[in-house]
Amino acid sequence: MFELFVSMVKEEWRLHATIFGSASFALFPVLIFAIAFMGSFLLPLFRTVIPSGTLATLAFALFALLGLMVGAFGLLGKEVMNRRFGQVSLIAYSSRSLPISERHIFSTFIIKDVVYYFFLWILPFIIGFGVASPFIGVSPATPFLLALTLSLSFLTGLSFAFFFSTLYAWSKWLLAAAAIVLLIGGAAAYGAGYQDPASLYPPLRLFENFTVSWLVFSLLLVLVPFAISIAAFTTEYHDAKKRFPDKFSPLEMHLKNFRSPALTAKDLIDLSRSGAGVGQTIFSFLLPLGLIWLFLSLLSALIPGPGVFLVFSLLTGVVASTMYTWLTEFDTFSTYAFLPLDAGTLMRSKVTTFSVLQAIPAAFLALVALGSGQLLYLIPGLVLCLGISFYALAIITWLAGLSPNVLIYNPRVLGLFFIALGPVLLVLITLSFIDPLWAFSALLLAVPVLFLLPRSYRKWTSWEHTTY
Amino acid sequence: MRSEMETMITTEGLTRTFGSTIAVDHVSLSVQKGELYGLLGPNGSGKTTMIRMLTGQIRPTGGSARVLGLDPDREPVGVRALIGIIPEQETPPSFLTSEEYLHFVGSVRNIPDIRQQADWWFEFLEFSDKRDVLCKDLSRGTRQKLMFSQAFLHNPGLALIDEPLINFDPVMQEKVKGYLSDYVGKGGTVFISTHILEIAEEICTSFAILHQGQLIHTGTVRELRERDRHLNEFFLSLVRTRTHV
Repeated sequence: MFELFVSMVKEEWRLHATIFGSASFALFPVLIFAIAFMGSFLLPLFRTVIPSGTLATLAFALFALLGLMVGAFGLLGKEVMNRRFGQVSLIAYSSRSLPISERHIFSTFIIKDVVYYFFLWILPFIIGFGVASPFIGVSPATPFLLALTLSLSFLTGLSFAFFFSTLYAWSKWLLAAAAIVLLIGGAAAYGAGYQDPASLYPPLRLFENFTVSWLVFSLLLVLVPFAISIAAFTTEYHDAKKRFPDKFSPLEMHLKNFRSPALTAKDLIDLSRSGAGVGQTIFSFLLPLGLIWLFLSLLSALIPGPGVFLVFSLLTGVVASTMYTWLTEFDTFSTYAFLPLDAGTLMRSKVTTFSVLQAIPAAFLALVALGSGQLLYLIPGLVLCLGISFYALAIITWLAGLSPNVLIYNPRVLGLFFIALGPVLLVLITLSFIDPLWAFSALLLAVPVLFLLPRSYRKWTSWEHTTY
Repeated sequence: MRSEMETMITTEGLTRTFGSTIAVDHVSLSVQKGELYGLLGPNGSGKTTMIRMLTGQIRPTGGSARVLGLDPDREPVGVRALIGIIPEQETPPSFLTSEEYLHFVGSVRNIPDIRQQADWWFEFLEFSDKRDVLCKDLSRGTRQKLMFSQAFLHNPGLALIDEPLINFDPVMQEKVKGYLSDYVGKGGTVFISTHILEIAEEICTSFAILHQGQLIHTGTVRELRERDRHLNEFFLSLVRTRTHV
């Protein structure tokens, strides 16, 4: 039904426009175009240190990841929007009020996601690359091939997001079994000598060697999971747990020495029960850091001594600072607006929980240091990591208060964040390259942190929380 | 001084604009101790904005208000510590169970006997079987029971309630109306905002009518009865006249 499709596209647009502002969001494809266009001119430079095949693998992995994220947001969208804006009802959940089957709505929803994100992300990226390609010595056919294969990579991610969610809806054990089968399959292929990811991933193989058989494989990789998802679609979560014992009171007791034990206990329960604690650790922490580590390893020949580990420590700190956004995604200030609490108190408690969560990057960095033989530099690495993490936290609390997940997409906020963070990162990287002992200069970041945090609490307490 | 103590809410020319829209336009009213005061008005008349200003959730753009002697604009946390509030939209935290949520509110409000208080409310509003259910999985009616409980957990002297009975079934409505009447009888004060006039006429002692942000009438239900008029018909005649004007 075409009307349903059009309504869903409009809804998706308005959803984004509500969060990011109409003008800002309308400029988003232009931003992607500009990044792709300008980034293309860096390709010749990258190729001198990174093999073309590795660059292609990264690009395809990125688009598959994008598809996974779009699919996950599509399925969790209602929950996310309810947390941000209160009661939200989406067309995808309206089969009870419309004379249309859930399966039909779900199929249209998939088509909408494919079309919408193709125009939002993929097409601007391809056009940006295509316009730059004559200037960087890329053959005219490459942008067209990329358009097809990157779209297939995106669709693969999207179809697997829907496939996994369908399995989960039937049984979480089914999902676990599928993950185990995938892991065993991957390990077996690796053991059989297929170490090159391109040989295991049809869209990438298609890009490197266009044949009809790889095109068919790529299409099957998209269509089969979609078909299974639609055929087995259910809105009943068969083994979803509905009842929980009281964890709040014992946890609050354990945290009694904290400044606001009730608020910290609530934050930790939110992370645990929503699945965000594990999910975010994997997808927002380990996965990006894995990619960063891969990228930095490729540059190891160019970076002196322990430089790779120290730069990695800094970047781990930047990624760790996003843990503040994990804590602020569950509810809006309206959840607390009728209690004797102000925004500053809430922010302070979230910063406390954030500090507890910094044990994750610290432990992660210790493991990396152990695994890469850099234990000697663990302490400077930790100082860099935690220093930059708390510094970035102080900036984001000042700029976005309790709504970093929304306001970080505001171009002004994002711009100021990078302006405040970029030079500090650059200085710390340079100093660490000169001598690892200079890493301890990150301790000086305590000054802006201690200056900014209390002011952020006061600023956002006096702010009127009318919408989010 | 005595009169100041007895007045629970006063507003003087209270105004709130959102851009070019005047949501509340120079409203002056006062609510005395022991009243069950109804703020009535059609959808979009400014009732929720009034409650949000009185509870310090949003700021007035003009005029002033005092709630229990405090200025909600300057001391929003102080006001919210003393009063109970039930917002129009029930937004308890998604991942706490209803029992955990009441304990959470008890901790935030420093209620010493929170377990006993929570148990009483679970029994009274008949939702003990939902103690261990996450707030996000509760029905709207149960969520409203939960929000009702959290507002009265600390025995406030004043409760501000936005649409108090809208999600309750008739049996529960009777129970809650009875509770509110008892509460007022024992010296409590209730300020409710509603557009369900039958309920307002049944339980309110005094009322004010807001229309397009302006206060168009204040009075008591007794005065109406003495004039042999019903709130429903009185309200409609006032609002229709204003709309036609």
